[in-house]
Amino acid sequence: MAKKVLNVEDDADIRTFVTTVLEENGYTPIMAIDGAEGMEKVKKERPDLIILDILMPRESGIKMYHELKLDPSFKDIPIVMLSGVSKRTFLRSQAALTEFGDETVPEPQAYLEKPVEPEDLAETLKKILG
Amino acid sequence: MPKLLIIDDEEGIRKVLTLSLTNDGYDVSAAAGGEEGIEIFKRESPPIILTDIKMPGMDGIETLKQIKELNPDAEVIMITGHGDMDLAIEALKLDASDFLNKPIKDEALSIALKRAEQRISIKQKLKAYTDDLERMVRIATEEVKRRAEFQNKLITSSNDAIIATDEKGDIIIYNKGAEGIFGHSRSEIIRKMNIDRLYPQEIASEFRSGLEMRSNIDLSEWKEVDILSKNGEIVPARFSGSILYAEDEVVGSVGFFQDLREIKRLQKELITSERLAATGQTVAGLAHYIKNILNGLKGGAYVLNVALDKSDTDKIESGWKMIERNVGRISDLVLDLLAYSKERQPEKENCFPNEIIKEVYALMESRAAENNIEIKIDLDPLLGEVYIDPKAIHRSLLNLVSNAIDACIFDSTSKKRWQVKITSSIEENHVIRFEVVDNGIGMDKETKEKIFSSLFSTKGERGTGLGLLVTEKIIKENGGMIQVASQKGSGTTFTVYLPYQEVTENSRQREVSSRR
Repeated sequence: MAKKVLNVEDDADIRTFVTTVLEENGYTPIMAIDGAEGMEKVKKERPDLIILDILMPRESGIKMYHELKLDPSFKDIPIVMLSGVSKRTFLRSQAALTEFGDETVPEPQAYLEKPVEPEDLAETLKKILG
Repeated sequence: MPKLLIIDDEEGIRKVLTLSLTNDGYDVSAAAGGEEGIEIFKRESPPIILTDIKMPGMDGIETLKQIKELNPDAEVIMITGHGDMDLAIEALKLDASDFLNKPIKDEALSIALKRAEQRISIKQKLKAYTDDLERMVRIATEEVKRRAEFQNKLITSSNDAIIATDEKGDIIIYNKGAEGIFGHSRSEIIRKMNIDRLYPQEIASEFRSGLEMRSNIDLSEWKEVDILSKNGEIVPARFSGSILYAEDEVVGSVGFFQDLREIKRLQKELITSERLAATGQTVAGLAHYIKNILNGLKGGAYVLNVALDKSDTDKIESGWKMIERNVGRISDLVLDLLAYSKERQPEKENCFPNEIIKEVYALMESRAAENNIEIKIDLDPLLGEVYIDPKAIHRSLLNLVSNAIDACIFDSTSKKRWQVKITSSIEENHVIRFEVVDNGIGMDKETKEKIFSSLFSTKGERGTGLGLLVTEKIIKENGGMIQVASQKGSGTTFTVYLPYQEVTENSRQREVSSRR
């Protein structure tokens, strides 16, 4: 059975793009437009992997990332960050959150910066999901 | 020792007088007749001369005449005998100083000499005084001349225009600075033109009422005026002036004009360069935004390729739309950047503002619908065809509506019925009011203060911060105004006021000719 990949992304263009890449590589795409909808879909669909954007209106990817990593039933779902924010900036924001007393969360399985080549995305997914 | 000359043909008199006057301390010379006396006078130039009237050869009258010709200041005392009355009167006419009757009495002689000496002394003092006075007058005149020249130089060398008139308003002073601003040469102006023809109408009429003493005018405060120069150029200038009085009488007027062209040009350049600098600063911020667009373009190309391979019509469409959308975003960005960094002249034409609003609505509707936002339009039916810049309206409203939609998307209060409303209405004084109202996230005071002042964006990498700056700039270029009212959590209203002109045959023609 095809593996389910959830993409949480507010930009419609990127959703279309990721959907196409997933379909081309034999995965079942599930889409959500923000963190809140993303958490709903996680609970309902139990994806095998999550591709997560960081800057989104209403609920950011950083918040959703923490929710997932701190929830025992979801913390093992691999996460690929896909964002215009650089990896360095993201890690610094994580360090800042830790300093403010949040529990330390592990780094994501992969971090991709936009714009991403379809081959790079596909290869990353393949490496993680096998 | 004062010199003294005695002229008498009688030797006895010469001897007696010489003796007695030498005794009195005079340096006495004596001559036996007029000719000899003149010779001695020429040589010795004695200030006092005693001469007999009746003498053989050159008589006393002729001698007096010649001495007075040689030196009008010489004191000539005439010695007269009985029966010389007519000659004595003639001698007086010739400016003889005094008369002594024969036989000469010592007392009378000393009085006559004393008077002569007094007159000499007075004359000397008077001369000294006169000389001094003349010197003083010369100095004073030179000083006045120097000052006048100085003032003249001040006026001619001033970069500012200095224009003075007589009490009739005819121009009598017009310097180089004035030539620079008004364009007319001095020869065309001085005594040939009056203020009514040269000055802007408002200034001329103020000067007129001042010159004719109809009212007390005060033009001393600098103010900006536009001067229409000879070649038709409108020259911005700073003006100050005053009516000139001499003892309560109006004697003329003076006006000072400073050329502001260079200053205005520099101001404009400064604004442009500041704007360019700001554009430069924002390039870094724009990088993210452009990255997103690139992402969309590349992604669109990928989706399109995949779809074409499979002949998947739906996918072809969505890939194509991605490309279209992102091409749109990048052209919007370029337009914004251009609009922001360049001066733009309003391009007015006859158009229907309500139709422009419908176009904006059509462009934004799908994006709003995707995000569960309803767009409503409420158009004033009285707003018909007007003469206005349609691109300015389109660009401003598109930016504002796009912001309004974002404000709803960013709103985290769940399950609100998000709405964006665009309205138009005709106001008084040829002004159209546009309103873009949303019930989205709203702004706090701090955010509201920043939106027009810098390249400020609340949208992270999704915004450039250019939109509102460009919108405000376009509206100002069109003589309009933009206002914002907002409350955090309940929404924002942007109100735009734009002046318009009625559609006239004139503007129609202009349009036709500009399209040719």
